[in-house]
Amino acid sequence: MSATLTEAHPSTVTPEMEKAQRAMIDESTRLPVVLFYASAVFWLLVGTVFALLASFKMNAPTFLDQWGWLTFGRVRPAHLNAVAYGWAASAGIGTGLWLMARLCRTPLRHSKLLIGAAVFWNIGILLGILGILAGDGRSIEWLEFPNYASFMLFVAFGLIAVWAIIMFRFRQPGHVYVSQWYLLAAFLWFPWLYSTANLLLNFQPIQGGAQGAVNWWYGHNALGLWFTPLGLATAYYLIPKVLGRPIHSYYLSILGFWSLALFYSWNGMHHLIGGPFPAWLISASVVASVMMFIPVITTAINHHMTVRGNFQALKWSPTLRFTVFGAMCYTLASLQGIFMAVPSLNVVTHFTHYTVGHAHLGLYAFFTMIMFGAMYYILPRVVGWEWPSVRLIRWHFWLVAIGIGMMVVVLTLGGILQGLALLDPNITFMASLDYTKPWLFLRSISGVLLTAGHIVFAVSFTLLLLKAGSLRTEPTLFGSDQGRQPEPLNV
Amino acid sequence: MTTIVYILLAAGLVFFGGTTLAAFYWAAKTGQFRNLEDGSKSIFDEDEPVGTATDAFADKQADRPLRRGAVAN
Repeated sequence: MSATLTEAHPSTVTPEMEKAQRAMIDESTRLPVVLFYASAVFWLLVGTVFALLASFKMNAPTFLDQWGWLTFGRVRPAHLNAVAYGWAASAGIGTGLWLMARLCRTPLRHSKLLIGAAVFWNIGILLGILGILAGDGRSIEWLEFPNYASFMLFVAFGLIAVWAIIMFRFRQPGHVYVSQWYLLAAFLWFPWLYSTANLLLNFQPIQGGAQGAVNWWYGHNALGLWFTPLGLATAYYLIPKVLGRPIHSYYLSILGFWSLALFYSWNGMHHLIGGPFPAWLISASVVASVMMFIPVITTAINHHMTVRGNFQALKWSPTLRFTVFGAMCYTLASLQGIFMAVPSLNVVTHFTHYTVGHAHLGLYAFFTMIMFGAMYYILPRVVGWEWPSVRLIRWHFWLVAIGIGMMVVVLTLGGILQGLALLDPNITFMASLDYTKPWLFLRSISGVLLTAGHIVFAVSFTLLLLKAGSLRTEPTLFGSDQGRQPEPLNV
Repeated sequence: MTTIVYILLAAGLVFFGGTTLAAFYWAAKTGQFRNLEDGSKSIFDEDEPVGTATDAFADKQADRPLRRGAVAN
């Protein structure tokens, strides 16, 4: 540190010191972040195999049905749990740990807590998936894991929550950035949601229809109070950070967070429209679902206006391209969800493939794409090595972007036709299934594209961890292999 | 057993509802909702200031301390 630099900055903090501190913080997160990321990529591949099997069975129901453990009723929940808890949650936790350290402006403490959490986490998921395949699964959507597996996951969630509180307690003084609010909410609320739902449904089951209410209170909150805050925390950090431009309206981002906290937990009952539940319960939930317009629109305005004028940056930055794709799909998925909660539209889409399309728009096109973007930003900084190949990143992006786009479109169109056929008394139930066949075939093709994209990503990820090739000193940007330089930004 | 579950649930509701309200009160009291302009800039610093893209023009990446051990080719 030179004297001139110190004089130039009255705060006596020089850019060199800040750079060194940031590098130290990034490095301190290395082991836990890489552990969670590597588990995430492993479970992504496992979940993708189950997804393909389940999808093929939709076209050929007798495919591989000679083994009980590979029947649709087991492969499908194995897919859901492998990608939701194994991939999405692990990737979200890895990203969240790094973000917590950066936003607390302090090196990561007590990494043993997190390594312990990662061990419990992976054993829990392994036991859970084996349990489902062995026929131990519970018939409760999003909570299919048997008790011996869900308990392990709860321990992992608990350890992470304790760690988050310790990190926040020892943060450097200063403003609490909006991403940190989202992260704290996710890390503290989710263990509670998870344990409450498991207590009421698996350990000490309540009776009758109330099980459905608890099931969807949990199922929807898993999306809204766990995945959504993790995804939005990431987008609210990465988009301004990559562009070097503060968020368009910070006021709106804070409003978005607190309105999400207020309204989201009421939403779950819209899954039960038409079910044997008190009308007020459903009505309150539909109203709260429509109120979600506030957090969704504030986030949409903020993300769009922050990137506006710099959309050319999507041409060269892998992080930004994946993250902005995800942020846009957050808006789409949420608006679609609001409309699906309106009873007159729900009557068509309920019990059809439309809902499956919506789930993939939310958990894949929004959350998974943001997590890919986060990994492209975080891993080089944590490991100290750049991504080995631009070409692999490009293939990854286009395979998964086209794959998920196609999947959402075909399931949406197929689902609407299926829903209308189900409502028509002149069409038999079997005939309504025939309408879905061509769409399910196209869906399998989109699944193959996604699978290819995941394999490309896994190869890229492994090469980076092995530090393959020569040391790159420049960030791996689209076009850099063709000698192109990124255009300057408008800030 | 059932009673214990209900007590746990009620305690959870009070605790998590309470902490959320407390967090909101704390945020208002400590000025988290004031100076929003500065708040939005809290993720930038002298080394990565507003106006400097990271990921893209991060040409100083190579001499980060964490790469000291790495051998440049």
